[in-house]
Amino acid sequence: MGKTMKVVVTLALVAATATAAEAQQAYRSYDQLTEAIQSLVGGSDAASVESIGESRDGRDVWLVTLAGDGPLPAEDRPGIMVVGTLEGDHLIGGEIAVEAIRWLLEQDGSNDEVTRLLSENVVYAVPRLNPDGAEAYFGDLAWGRRGNAWQEDDDNDARMAEDGPNDLNGDGVVTVMRVPDRSGDLIPHPDDPRLMKEADPVEGESGTHTMYREGTDDDGDGFIAEDGPGGVDLNRNFQHEYPYWEADAGRHMVSEPESRAIMDFMVDNRNIAAILTFGHTDNLVEPPNGQGRLASPRTISLMDWAEMSNADVFDVGVFGGQTNFGNLQQRGAQLGRDNPPEQGRRPVTTYNGQDRPYFATVSDAYREITGIEETGYHRAPEGAFFEFGYFQYGVPSFSTQGWAMPEAEGDTFDQRLLNAMDAAGSDGFVDWEPFTHPTLGEVEIGGFHPYMAVNPPPDVIPQLGAAHGEFIARLGGMLPNVRFVEATAEAIGGGLWKVDATVENAGYFPTALAHGQVSRSVDPTLVQIQVDPEAVVSGDAKSARTARIDGSGGTANYSWIIRGSAGQTIEITSRAQKGGRDSITVTLR
Amino acid sequence: MLAVAVSMAVSATPATAQITTGSDPEHELIFSWDRWLDHDELNERMEIMADQWPEFLTLETIGQSYGGRDLKIMTINNPETGDELDKAAMFIEANVHGNEIQGGEVVIYTIWYLMENYDRIPEIRRLVDERVFYLLPSVNPDGRDWFMDQTGSGARTGHVPVDSDGDGLFDEDGPNDLNGNGVIEQIRKYVPGAGDFIIDPDNPNSLRRVGPNERGDWILLGSEGIDDDGDGRVNEDPPGGYDPNRNYPSDWQPEYVQGGAMNYPFELPEPRAIEEFMVSKPNIAGSQSFHNTGGMILRGPGAAWYGDYPQSDVRVYNELGENGERMLPWYDYFVVWQGLYAVHGGQLDWANDGHGAVGFSNELWNGGQYYQSPLLTEQQRDEDTPIGGGRSNYFFDDFLTFGRNYVEWAPFDHPQYGEVEMGGFRKLQGRVNPRFMSMELFHRNMAFTLYQADEMPLMSMGEAEVERVSGNTFKVRVPIRNERLMPTILERARRYNVVDPDILTLEGADVLMAGWVDEHNFEGTVDRIDQAELDRILIRSGHPGRTTRYIEYLVQGSGNVTIEYASQKGGTVSTTVALN
Repeated sequence: MGKTMKVVVTLALVAATATAAEAQQAYRSYDQLTEAIQSLVGGSDAASVESIGESRDGRDVWLVTLAGDGPLPAEDRPGIMVVGTLEGDHLIGGEIAVEAIRWLLEQDGSNDEVTRLLSENVVYAVPRLNPDGAEAYFGDLAWGRRGNAWQEDDDNDARMAEDGPNDLNGDGVVTVMRVPDRSGDLIPHPDDPRLMKEADPVEGESGTHTMYREGTDDDGDGFIAEDGPGGVDLNRNFQHEYPYWEADAGRHMVSEPESRAIMDFMVDNRNIAAILTFGHTDNLVEPPNGQGRLASPRTISLMDWAEMSNADVFDVGVFGGQTNFGNLQQRGAQLGRDNPPEQGRRPVTTYNGQDRPYFATVSDAYREITGIEETGYHRAPEGAFFEFGYFQYGVPSFSTQGWAMPEAEGDTFDQRLLNAMDAAGSDGFVDWEPFTHPTLGEVEIGGFHPYMAVNPPPDVIPQLGAAHGEFIARLGGMLPNVRFVEATAEAIGGGLWKVDATVENAGYFPTALAHGQVSRSVDPTLVQIQVDPEAVVSGDAKSARTARIDGSGGTANYSWIIRGSAGQTIEITSRAQKGGRDSITVTLR
Repeated sequence: MLAVAVSMAVSATPATAQITTGSDPEHELIFSWDRWLDHDELNERMEIMADQWPEFLTLETIGQSYGGRDLKIMTINNPETGDELDKAAMFIEANVHGNEIQGGEVVIYTIWYLMENYDRIPEIRRLVDERVFYLLPSVNPDGRDWFMDQTGSGARTGHVPVDSDGDGLFDEDGPNDLNGNGVIEQIRKYVPGAGDFIIDPDNPNSLRRVGPNERGDWILLGSEGIDDDGDGRVNEDPPGGYDPNRNYPSDWQPEYVQGGAMNYPFELPEPRAIEEFMVSKPNIAGSQSFHNTGGMILRGPGAAWYGDYPQSDVRVYNELGENGERMLPWYDYFVVWQGLYAVHGGQLDWANDGHGAVGFSNELWNGGQYYQSPLLTEQQRDEDTPIGGGRSNYFFDDFLTFGRNYVEWAPFDHPQYGEVEMGGFRKLQGRVNPRFMSMELFHRNMAFTLYQADEMPLMSMGEAEVERVSGNTFKVRVPIRNERLMPTILERARRYNVVDPDILTLEGADVLMAGWVDEHNFEGTVDRIDQAELDRILIRSGHPGRTTRYIEYLVQGSGNVTIEYASQKGGTVSTTVALN
């Protein structure tokens, strides 16, 4: 039994003998998390829970709504959507979400920011979007399941999930194998022989090893662990920069019941004005740069190299000359039917320059509140939910790992991760042990523990929950907040009145981000004077629309000439899709 | 070909023999083809046919539209000739745009024609015996019935409510039939000297935009309607407001790139129900989605920047499309983006990319067909003729449809616009062919889909040759052929891994070596197959069209060996041979 199992055992002992509060200090199974959510919600008037859908294995996807008494019904309040554990191996995300809810409910009434949040805003939280994937953590074998329970023929050989990883050395963990191989591309890292590096022929280095996932060639097709239990990685299943035709991204965008459940909720609740997700990509610690792009990916090379051992599985069975993707074919000669290939527009893929300062401000607040200054594992956000949130839903949308590993030295991410684990006394690296493999001969098995590289020790969960609760409250205070500041009416003779009204956005964010306007996904603020349309003689339209009202006290002015009678009371209403509703009355005198 | 067909016919059933007696026997089901059907009538005809020909037809409900209308798919399959999923299938749908109705009738006609002629025309019998058909007459029955039974205004969309004007209310201000004549007319207002239209001096019904140094007397105020929700705007939030044919996943793009796409692919219940059906039918190798109008045989990709299909796939499309142009006068074979406009997330892209099926979309009916001769086409271009300069539609309506398609302009007192006139063409004019021209349109378009169906992959296997090398070691050589144009796996489908690979198996002996024979008539080496499991060879690139390949095995054993070639879209064929 490897060292990792000892850690888990130790934690279990701690949990068994700890107080009730400390009992949260372990990752929770679906049943435990469900119970925790229900007990949290049961003890509060400001919280409710509903199931927005079922996972492929039939588990409920829970959505918690936090909304105390306030001037507006919850569905009209500017809302924050919080989503955790889209990737099944990112358990920490869901745990932080639940503990943030706990902290917010505890602080309601004593902490001003929280009290304001729960009366003026609404918080929707789906702590664990991928309950099936997360549940694999509690199974007998830790193999780092990221996807849901969709069955996929990963290697497209008309056999389903016939060659998954195997726990060859019986330590309960699937890691990787390094195999002496004269034609390999890798060598043990000179600075730390636990790690590997690519041999550099320019430096006179020659490869000595090849890497594989821990496993055997179960189906005898010449590949090792190339078709495991499958599953769709939900954070690769959404509509922006979707990674088409990759086995773990689903058959198509939003193909999964869990993805559909949250997407339908987003569509039905367009008062959602900001999104916070926990996952394997960060745009909070490191906000979009000057080109509107996120930081380059930092993934674990040991695992990537092992995956690459199956890179040419799809080349087997390709016969005959391969044809190229042709030049664009121009066909037909009907008049006026010869459109240029560049017609139409392309989707935006960088953060809008006008929006980037808002992301920077939020990043400052996040780092200050949570103390998190480092990004750990960080992958390209293809098909990620938070990217949908900004690029298609048009609101400020964030993603974070939710925790930081200690700062550590190293030229590569693998080195920094390993050094940080060493410094923290963590056993997240399974030391290499020799093993006699049935087809590969003498190999070594070891490498990073699939869960410990992307999740912190569970004892930090309550503290991370509180910090993120505070951040959510701060974010709520930034949402657009559109209110009437004044309305006046002045008789101009002949039964006509001039009615003026001013609204102000008392929040920090504008009513629509620049990209919210570009993407046409945020409605203009609608200000309506509630008289018969025929009574509006001149000035603004009865239903006046303003595309964007800046935050920090930005205003919009409206002026109508209406036909009316003295003593008549006129109501003017406002609807800011992301900034609430308001109304004001003025009497004609 | 013809000679063979006749000799087969004579030797076939008595019903077939009647062909030789001259006049046709009466049809088993007498349907009329000169009226348009609403959704209930489409389904009723399908039920009648399913009752009439139960040995071939199965009618199945695959889901409901948003408005609760049943989506019914007809399967045509002859169980005597093999299991449904072992035969390549042609999927035919229509009417995803509610106002593009006549594809629904083409579908009904196709089912009827295949069944009526199964015993009369040997080529039809062969096609029905070799293939499977899945037919759905209306993808958008809510839109169809809105078009058929209501005024027909804005019927392209489906009827999932959309807040088109951003006020938080859904579909609260659509057009209104103010004068109760069942038509949503155009509104024009007389504004002497201040308009941008004048009345055509040669045709008082026709408005013409003002030219240089002209002042107009009329303005157009849009469709018949009022400000239902009192927001100061007219008809700004009608039912629906999206394009169901932009809701498919391949190159799906959000609203600001592709208008009408909705929020995510398969958000709409109708395309989603069809997708679930198609996923359950991996034998679908061809697809047709009927639209109107313009006279086009369209293939993907919908947008240029998504990249064209691989050349080997394009060759297949081109042969089908170019022959289609010969079967469908006035129709042009186009790539969508090049001949129509860029479409992101359309059905035919998904048929090709997501299902590996050759996908076409015919735009039924071409305005050129109003005046079919070169002489009249010439006259239409001449301003001074009675059918020139935009007058052709009026002439056609007056003399060939007897004014049925036009509502004369008449004064109306509008609550918001005051004194106006309302009038204009009725819904059936323009996009929908005149009724009397239906049968030709139905038949020619059906014929194109049958041609496409006939060119779907069809695998066959010749006799195995066995040669003893020494002792119990044998060479076994088998010809494997795809009889038709389409490959078993499109190259794009291979790259996207959306179709199972073809699988060549050998049972009954140990396989030592396997390879493709380079040249069958020349004794020599083979192109060795480098796979770990030689008794189960994967063929990811499939079998090209109209091609024979020879597989050669070196096996050890005795007794019989069975060689099987299994293809999702080309069928499964096998042969058994004794080793001796």
